Amino acid sequence: MRIASILFSSLLLLAAFGATAQDGEKLFKQNCATCHLASDKALIGPGLAGIEDRAPSREWIVGWVQNPDGMIASGDAYANTIKEFSPTAMTAFGYLEEGDIHAILDYIAHPPAPKEVAVEAAAGPVEGESGSLDENTLRNVLLAIAGLLLVLVVILSSVRKSLTSLLSEKTGETAPEELGAWGSITNWLNMNRGWTGVILLVATLAFLRWGVIELMEIGVYQGYKPEQPIAFSHKIHAGQNGINCVYCHTSAEKGKTAGIPSLNVCMNCHSYVSEGPSGTVEIAKIYAALDYNPETKVYGDSPKAIEWVRVHNLPDLAYFNHSQHVVVGKIECQKCHGAVEEMGVAEQHSPLTMGWCVDCHRTTSVQVANNEYYEDLHERTPAWHDGNPVTVERIGGLECAKCHY
Amino acid sequence: MSKTKIYWTGLDQLHNTPEFQESAENEFTPATSAEHLLESENLDEGTTKRRDFLKFLGFSVGAATLAACETPVNKAIPYLNKPEEITPGVPNYYASTFFDGTDYASILVKTREGRPIKIVGNKNSKVTSGAINSRVNSSVLSLYDSARAGSPMKAGEASEWETVDKEIGEALAKLGEAGGSIVLLTETIISPSAKKAIAEFATKYGEGVKHVTYDALSASGSLEANQACFGVKALPAYDFASADVVVSFGADFIAGFPNGAANAVGYGKMRDPKGGKMSRHFQFESNMSLAGSNADVRVAIKPSESAEAIISLYNKVAKATGGNTVGGGNSEYESALSQAAKELVGAKGKSIVVSNSNDAGVQTIVNAINNLLGNYGSTLDIAKPLYVKAGIDSEMTQLIADMNAGKVGALLMHGVNPSYSYGDAAAFNSGLAKVGLTVSFADRLDETAAGVAYLCPDNHYLESWNDSEPKAGSYSLTQPTIQPLFKTRQFQESLLKWSGNDTSYYNYIQSNWAGIHAASSNASMLFNDFFNTALFNGVFDASSEGVVTEFAGDVNAAAGSIKKSTTGDFELELYVKAGMGDGSQANNPWLQELPDPISRVTWDNYIMMSPSDMIANGFSRLERGDFMANVAEISVNDVKIKAPVYPSPGQKKGTIGLAVGYGRTAAGACGNEVGVNAFSVAHGSFTVGAVTVSKTDETHEIAQTQSHHTLMGRSAILKETTLSEYKADPKAGNPDALLYVSSAGAKKEESHGHGDDHGHDDEGHGHEEDAHAEASHGNPYVAANKVNLWDDHAIGSGHRWGMSVDLSKCIGCGACVTGCGSENNVPVVGKEEVRRGRDMHWLRIDRYYTSDMTEEKAKAEGVGAIDKFTAMEAAAEQPQVAFQPVMCQHCNHAPCETVCPVAATTHSNEGMNMMTYNRCIGTRYCANNCPYKVRRFNWFQYHNGSQDFSKNPANDDLGRMVLNPDVVVRDRGVMEKCSFCIQGIQAAKLKAKKAGRKVADEEVQSACAEACPTNAIVFGDLNDKDSWVAGNAKDERSYHLLEEVGVQPNVYYMTKVRNVVENEA
Repeated sequence: MRIASILFSSLLLLAAFGATAQDGEKLFKQNCATCHLASDKALIGPGLAGIEDRAPSREWIVGWVQNPDGMIASGDAYANTIKEFSPTAMTAFGYLEEGDIHAILDYIAHPPAPKEVAVEAAAGPVEGESGSLDENTLRNVLLAIAGLLLVLVVILSSVRKSLTSLLSEKTGETAPEELGAWGSITNWLNMNRGWTGVILLVATLAFLRWGVIELMEIGVYQGYKPEQPIAFSHKIHAGQNGINCVYCHTSAEKGKTAGIPSLNVCMNCHSYVSEGPSGTVEIAKIYAALDYNPETKVYGDSPKAIEWVRVHNLPDLAYFNHSQHVVVGKIECQKCHGAVEEMGVAEQHSPLTMGWCVDCHRTTSVQVANNEYYEDLHERTPAWHDGNPVTVERIGGLECAKCHY
Repeated sequence: MSKTKIYWTGLDQLHNTPEFQESAENEFTPATSAEHLLESENLDEGTTKRRDFLKFLGFSVGAATLAACETPVNKAIPYLNKPEEITPGVPNYYASTFFDGTDYASILVKTREGRPIKIVGNKNSKVTSGAINSRVNSSVLSLYDSARAGSPMKAGEASEWETVDKEIGEALAKLGEAGGSIVLLTETIISPSAKKAIAEFATKYGEGVKHVTYDALSASGSLEANQACFGVKALPAYDFASADVVVSFGADFIAGFPNGAANAVGYGKMRDPKGGKMSRHFQFESNMSLAGSNADVRVAIKPSESAEAIISLYNKVAKATGGNTVGGGNSEYESALSQAAKELVGAKGKSIVVSNSNDAGVQTIVNAINNLLGNYGSTLDIAKPLYVKAGIDSEMTQLIADMNAGKVGALLMHGVNPSYSYGDAAAFNSGLAKVGLTVSFADRLDETAAGVAYLCPDNHYLESWNDSEPKAGSYSLTQPTIQPLFKTRQFQESLLKWSGNDTSYYNYIQSNWAGIHAASSNASMLFNDFFNTALFNGVFDASSEGVVTEFAGDVNAAAGSIKKSTTGDFELELYVKAGMGDGSQANNPWLQELPDPISRVTWDNYIMMSPSDMIANGFSRLERGDFMANVAEISVNDVKIKAPVYPSPGQKKGTIGLAVGYGRTAAGACGNEVGVNAFSVAHGSFTVGAVTVSKTDETHEIAQTQSHHTLMGRSAILKETTLSEYKADPKAGNPDALLYVSSAGAKKEESHGHGDDHGHDDEGHGHEEDAHAEASHGNPYVAANKVNLWDDHAIGSGHRWGMSVDLSKCIGCGACVTGCGSENNVPVVGKEEVRRGRDMHWLRIDRYYTSDMTEEKAKAEGVGAIDKFTAMEAAAEQPQVAFQPVMCQHCNHAPCETVCPVAATTHSNEGMNMMTYNRCIGTRYCANNCPYKVRRFNWFQYHNGSQDFSKNPANDDLGRMVLNPDVVVRDRGVMEKCSFCIQGIQAAKLKAKKAGRKVADEEVQSACAEACPTNAIVFGDLNDKDSWVAGNAKDERSYHLLEEVGVQPNVYYMTKVRNVVENEA
């Protein structure tokens, strides 16, 4: 309901200001956004929300944007007041037409509503709610049916018992010996040996199968999706903003771990972007960790590390090196990590079992060409000259001590 | 030409006692745990009853099952601001400097995620050429020593720096005003900046400040002699690489000697017979030292005879070169000395004479011999001398007298521990009590620090900035590789602070280096560039010429001044162990567990005695399997010490040896009460003189490793020859192992060996056909490597990692053993477990004794079997020694692989035998089937924090920081062994793959090869035809250990060549 109303109101807004606001947004992003936010937060220059209430007039603003130095030199009182805001003087945008500036001001006055994504991201790391609800309902329904059937069995057996006793009373025969619930079950089992065998066999097989499946799952955390201290969304960063994986995970090309970016990497962007689609709360956690004051842009001296929850936990006994796979093997990150750019909350896509590793090593060809190391090795290994692809397996990628030492 | 010498590992094998026979048959030493446990008197005192045990067992099974189902939550904590040069998982190396008062080493420190984990040599250094020894590469563990002081202390109680600074500052100021005596007692200081800081301190507190240098391992005699002869209070720098003839009188110049590791580099170069030239090494000594065990001619003499022998040598050299002879010099070792003199004169300018004597007179005569031989300026550099020793004994004696007279107002001690290492410690302690202000900069509350008012703990050197000038004009820098772990402060910074100078020591060094910069040929460089280049390289060599001075020693006066050593039934000569040094690192378990190169004993020091003296005095020669040594009491003057007696073939009859560095009482849990303190009988000199030895009723458990892991008894274990034979035939001493092949067997063989691989090289099936051809020509004996029982691996393809071990160059120092332990997280098991034969070292150095008597000689001379062995026993008084490092041989037909029921040990396509810990179920079949006995079993969880293995560094959080994160810490119940440092191979391959180039030769180094100062161990790719190791493998001296077993190892040994002449000494 809430989503619908927001969508509806934004549609209304779009209808009203459609053309100019679109242009205004584009122009704003191209020309102003480096130094100004459309909100009331200051960046390099002051936040522009409510500018028309502060400045003498729209005409004044047009003049200022086109030639701020001229306005100051002319001795304009307001121009000389706002120049005190920062030692960095504002650049003159002489090429902006009056109409362009009006479009920008319209955009600032009536920014379009945030898009739908924002709402989802704001909801934070909730594990697929709807799916689990369905499963729960189904289970509850099944349990209820089973309960009803059990009640029915009890009622029917008591009815049968009273009917039998009535019958025996009538006929005057001695009532058959009272067996009780357990007795009747064992009695039935004794009577139907064949069925008993079948039931036992099925039960045993089912139990074994269940056991094997459960055992194989031990230590496999495919789909592990822990809640993180910051509701970081790969969908926004890697998906919508198209940031390259190795921009943040720099050591994927250098070392064994892909690495979680240090906070100075976050601050490359977030010293400017203090507000995301979900608001300021999550980004403020970065500032809090760094003891950074976004208003004064000053770092304090009591920073605290952020303790992320590790998603991919390879056991210590296995040596895995990202750079081997990313740089030498030229494997896409997504091959093992899945479509991270679509994940609101990072999750373990692959099982990370040894069988999974080895399967890939069996089928993946080594990129021999254009790598002198492999070319030399290829030359020295006559066995590889049989025309079949040189898989990782053939260079020893299935050997124990290639990963375990 | 070959000789079948007889080698023995110990007297038990020589005499072939029933116990030895039994233990050689057994895989493990019989003193195993079950019986030991059951015999234990404490068995009933345990608090855990059987029922409780079962309860706990049930509970833990249940708990483990439940725990296994839970998702472990691991945290990943990134840097707040990542330093640019750090990538998690990628090691960084920083150049630094190690100096402990004896050994100087320019080093590279390997750090991971900001913690130092390993130390290797820095090949940029012209002083050390990248040499390190076991004390240097073990020093990284001393950083993570929980016995270090956590904060400054006042009267033994933890305090704060503010308090301590204030109180000491006030006390010093008061003394300074009153002109009182303030003494700085330090070890040798080679840091120019530290010397400047001391001078600044002296200026601040006036005339009363005095700096006294005290070396526990004193070279006072040499310093005084050099002062008299050359006007230089320093030691000459030796160039053993240019020395054709080396004559040493008791000096263990490759182990306990100042700059020993660096000497080993040059010495090793001259032990390579390639080109037909080797050095000749004469050693005159009483204890079997490491240098002596490598000597070509070793003459056992008594310590009291040393001075006369040196004078005799001087006279002989003087006669031959036209110098003045001096009186005396009647030595009973005439023939050996004449031979040495003859060869010395024949190698004028290319020889070295060296002595361990701490008598200035003796050292003057040694200088005179070197001078007559023209060695100064060629093999001995006194123009640019070594500054690694500066302590003059008489100054220390004077200081103690002053202290006892109450003349000393303040005593500040850095790097010294006289309450432990000074002979007359009681006098020192009583003097210390009379000093008003006592300050120690020790890193822990050691023997001396326990008696001082203030302990101001110094940083570990890996936490410090410093500079060094070990040799005139050669500088190096020390840089911190980790933040101080405790509330410690550098000694120099404390001094500066108390001098009223608040600059950091780093800035202080930089300002001091401005002078070095200005005077250097790089003066045109910007200072920052100059300093950072030096820091990056670790070293900086000024191009200045040294000051050449003429020899001005008075030989006659010197000969007259020599103090006579007392003689008696037994003479005691102290010595320095290659592993332990002066004992300052006694709390380092890697060093404690490192077997002594000669005795192979761990965790102890002991009286070394000649076996025949042991018989005469009723001591057990430890030929039984229980290794219980009799304890003897030795007394010198009024000092009595009790120590176990251990047989040392080669020990001069009538002499005993005892190592210093043991018997610490305040070193820490690991080093306390290990062995006895031999410093207590040293009065200025290690040549103690006459002592009385009396047997006591006590016995002492010895943990030695030589009898462990005895190779299966076949012939070709250690091969050796002499230089002359080698020159005549490079394959001398290295005949191919022959096997009898019947023609029927050969036919049967034919069905094997034609494997499906395409990679046959010259060791492939082609040879089998040769073998059959040879065998069918009537000679049924064929070379062992030509017979094959198995299908070959494709050993000619791709990489084949291999190793060569040159027995000629191996000096037995043990740097490889500690290097391997550091790289591969090898656990320390402690004395009790070593006694049970459960030492975990992946690499052992077998020490063999042998003598002149050979099977051939016995046959030729018609010596009967019994007489032959009698002759050998007699020769045991004067054995030759050989060292043989044995690690996993990485067999191409590995016997261990075929018996593993779970395929936990398998073969790699790169020639290695792989061990997969997580597959291993601990049947130990592989260890049983290994002919080399190189597999080690984890009997216990050495890292579980239990008291039993508290000595293992992986047992506490601090010690765990030394572990190499790229190598798994093995669990209980699994087998482990040398992996050829596969983590390094993989890393180097990855580096090459990423750069798109081949792996360069010597790019991949196993930890042992990296640590070896003499390059005896060479590692590389055998399939890379141009590699060093491939060249060595093709050398005529190369052979496989137990070649006749046919397991085709990837480790090659090279015949030991001795530069001996038949029928000498």
